[in-house]
Amino acid sequence: MEELRKKARELLTSGAVKVIIGYGPGSGKRVRAVFVRKPEQADLLICDDRCLQNLAVYLTKPEVKALGKAAVVARLPTLRAILQLAAENQLTDGQVVALGISPEGKMTELSQFKAIEEFLAGFSFELSAEEKATLEKLDQMTPEQRWQFWQEQFAKCVRCYGCRASCPLCYCEKCLAECNQPQWIPAASHQIGNLDWHIIRAMHLANRCVNCGDCSRACPVGIPLHLLNQKLAEEVFKQFGARSGMKAAQEYALCNWKLEDRENFIK
Amino acid sequence: MARIGVFICHCGENIAGTVDVFKVAEAAGKFPGVVHSVEYKYMCSDPGQTMIKDAIKEKKLTGVVVAACSPRMHEPTFRRACAEAGLNPFLCEMANIREHCSWVHEKGEATTQKAIELIRIMVEKVKRNKPLYSIKVPVTKTALVLGGGIAGIQAALDIANAGHQVILVERSPSIGGHMLQLSETFPTLDCSQCILTPRMVEVAQHPKITLYTYSELESLDGFIGNFKARIRRKARGVDEKLCTGCGVCIQKCPQKKIPSEFDAGMGKRTAIYVPCPQSVPNQPVIDREHCTYYIKGKCKICEKFCERKAIRLDQQDEIIEVNVGAVVAATGFDILHSKDFPEYGYGKYPDVIDGLQFERLASASGPTLGAIKRPSDGKEPETVVFIACAGSRDDAKGIPYCSKICCMYTAKHAMLYKHKVHNGKAYVFYMDIRAGGKNYEEFVRRAIEEDGAVYLRGRVSRIYEEDGKLIVKGVDTLLGAQPVEIKADMVVLATAIVANQDAESLAQKLRVSYDPYHFLSEAHPKLRPVETNTAGIFLAGACQAPKDIPEAVAQASGAAAKVAGLFSSSELSREPVIAVVNRLPPPVFSTCTGCFLCEKACPYQAIEREEIKDRKGNVIKVVAKVNPGLCQGCGTCVALCRVKAIDLQGFTNEQVYCELMAL
Repeated sequence: MEELRKKARELLTSGAVKVIIGYGPGSGKRVRAVFVRKPEQADLLICDDRCLQNLAVYLTKPEVKALGKAAVVARLPTLRAILQLAAENQLTDGQVVALGISPEGKMTELSQFKAIEEFLAGFSFELSAEEKATLEKLDQMTPEQRWQFWQEQFAKCVRCYGCRASCPLCYCEKCLAECNQPQWIPAASHQIGNLDWHIIRAMHLANRCVNCGDCSRACPVGIPLHLLNQKLAEEVFKQFGARSGMKAAQEYALCNWKLEDRENFIK
Repeated sequence: MARIGVFICHCGENIAGTVDVFKVAEAAGKFPGVVHSVEYKYMCSDPGQTMIKDAIKEKKLTGVVVAACSPRMHEPTFRRACAEAGLNPFLCEMANIREHCSWVHEKGEATTQKAIELIRIMVEKVKRNKPLYSIKVPVTKTALVLGGGIAGIQAALDIANAGHQVILVERSPSIGGHMLQLSETFPTLDCSQCILTPRMVEVAQHPKITLYTYSELESLDGFIGNFKARIRRKARGVDEKLCTGCGVCIQKCPQKKIPSEFDAGMGKRTAIYVPCPQSVPNQPVIDREHCTYYIKGKCKICEKFCERKAIRLDQQDEIIEVNVGAVVAATGFDILHSKDFPEYGYGKYPDVIDGLQFERLASASGPTLGAIKRPSDGKEPETVVFIACAGSRDDAKGIPYCSKICCMYTAKHAMLYKHKVHNGKAYVFYMDIRAGGKNYEEFVRRAIEEDGAVYLRGRVSRIYEEDGKLIVKGVDTLLGAQPVEIKADMVVLATAIVANQDAESLAQKLRVSYDPYHFLSEAHPKLRPVETNTAGIFLAGACQAPKDIPEAVAQASGAAAKVAGLFSSSELSREPVIAVVNRLPPPVFSTCTGCFLCEKACPYQAIEREEIKDRKGNVIKVVAKVNPGLCQGCGTCVALCRVKAIDLQGFTNEQVYCELMAL
């Protein structure tokens, strides 16, 4: 933590960056995102087990961009999000300094995409055993049971769009959900509208989701949305060998055709 | 407020026979926004069109739905009629109640109801149609002709004589193709080279033709009027500007035993060679696979003897890029090879040869100078058996089609043989004689009646060697399926015509369709025989299907006429059904987020990047923009765009959505 604060002070003092996006004290025992703009505020920064939010979500916001060059405290999913945003032309190289935090809590300054790529290459993108078990459980359900499961989950949805707000890859200025000519997704929180919204969002995140889990954490009613994204990510990996957020320049499986692509999923 | 007119066609009995058109007209008249609904026997007829035009004027229609046949048939007709009445043609749509309804259903209530629904959805679409205007794209008035056989030569000459630039690309060292290998041609028995070489020379001398021999198409991008072709000019090893074609290098080359491709393996050539004395251009190429220098690293005899210092042993392949407006594929054919005929011993017995090899034996420019000598010992064969349909019309060989030219050339071969070997005996095994064509039947009769070729209707089951003779075991079905055994000195197989080995990859480069046998497909078997389904790419000659010389030439001239027609104006008019990225007032400018996944997905490279700048020139945002010339309106980008910032003109998301919701 001290290392991080020192680096933050250094970066702000030298003027290398104008703002550090990190975690600071929130209400009660919680942490929240803080935007440190003065060296003396660097002591606000916290880095511990509570710091899970994917801070890359702020990098594409016009208000944050207006602050100037940013450094962001970045756990692995955040680093992947930065690369994925780069692949989608939302960030340019050198625009962001990532203060990479390894799972052991060690900090590394990564100022180029290449450095992030190399850093990430040292860690596997495998799902944890627990995550795998949960997916496995869902897979083993009959289609009817699975449908029932998700219907029950989606029934809870109040359409607050917290999942969208928390997601670093939901950067569209005008979301499809706000489009009303035609009205792709019924706006009211009812069965069809909720199903439409979550399925379309999951499809939009296929081969893009970096598995940070923020959608589920943000959800006030506890829908395990990350499972949809993990399932799709695994399918894309199985079919096309593609993982999102590993390179700053990478193909998008859904708009890319290769002769060797297997087509056994077309039935 | 929309004022839609609905016009329902009986199409004679085609629609009215199963659909109650009167009820449909009545129902359609009650749809919201429809102010006029009528039926008529033939809407596409002149009175039918007049009904539409009059209604547009009298009822002040803002949109027209014609419920009739497929838009593939008459959409242009009705759109033109609307345009004549002053309505933007893209405000006219067709509801297909023939192919999608009356033709595929029984007469009944449900069928009528379906017709009503099909019109209902189209009315909803037309209400949201916007006036669109054709897109003009410039045309590059240069044609690319692929293949320098007789079809390619003819196409190139016709296009060039129409006043347009032509780039002729030939894979082998010389133009001429298979026709240059032939001895004489049916049905007139005029010398093939004598009639072909003047055309070859004309190509070489034509100021509007650029000839690239020993070159191949690497890739083709773009679209009608604006293709970009990359051509690989293979390293010839000889500087074409310096070489005079004196031939000293060929005389001095120590590698003299390479089977000549031009002589179909009947003769030999050197490693530095021209295919034949009449080659155009008459400049040799070095066959690096067989050249001593490339094998052992030393020799360079050609370089030493070349007075003009034209040998370039270190030359590399060169890729050139050309812009062309149209492409004519005239890449020709191949014949089925030895591995496919173990029962005939083809490839095992040297005296079992194919038709092309016989042509070289009979040709005055061939390895035997026109004397019929069998390959094994050079003796004049006393008995020759010709087998037609070797592979053709044979499902067991995977070739159900007729190779078309074999009946004629087999008759010609028998005739040529009898003209050269007066005492010789010529037997022809055949399945049927297909001699459709001007003077063709007479030609075959001549071979049988005047030249005494013995025609046996039946197939040959086996050929084997015994005491220096080839024993041909066949059957004569006209004599009650009696077995026939002939002791022959030589056997000529009329092996099937097949597509070139790389025809499939060529088709993929050109993005044209091809049939199961890899012959390139025409756009319509009867009415568009020289066009492909890819606009601006035309077909000539045997790359489309087996053809004889007159047919190949006729098709080449047809393709040339199509190209000349395309080049007759400097602009092409295209339907405006293309994708458009939205533009909005500031501060949004466009809902496009600039992720450019559409750029990667677009199969036509039609997505460009546009920088939106403020007054001081600072870039506010980079968004996608569609190049209207390149976009083909496939809609891939529309489906991919998460923000729905891209929409397809004429088929907008809103239109399609409303069509579905109307059901």
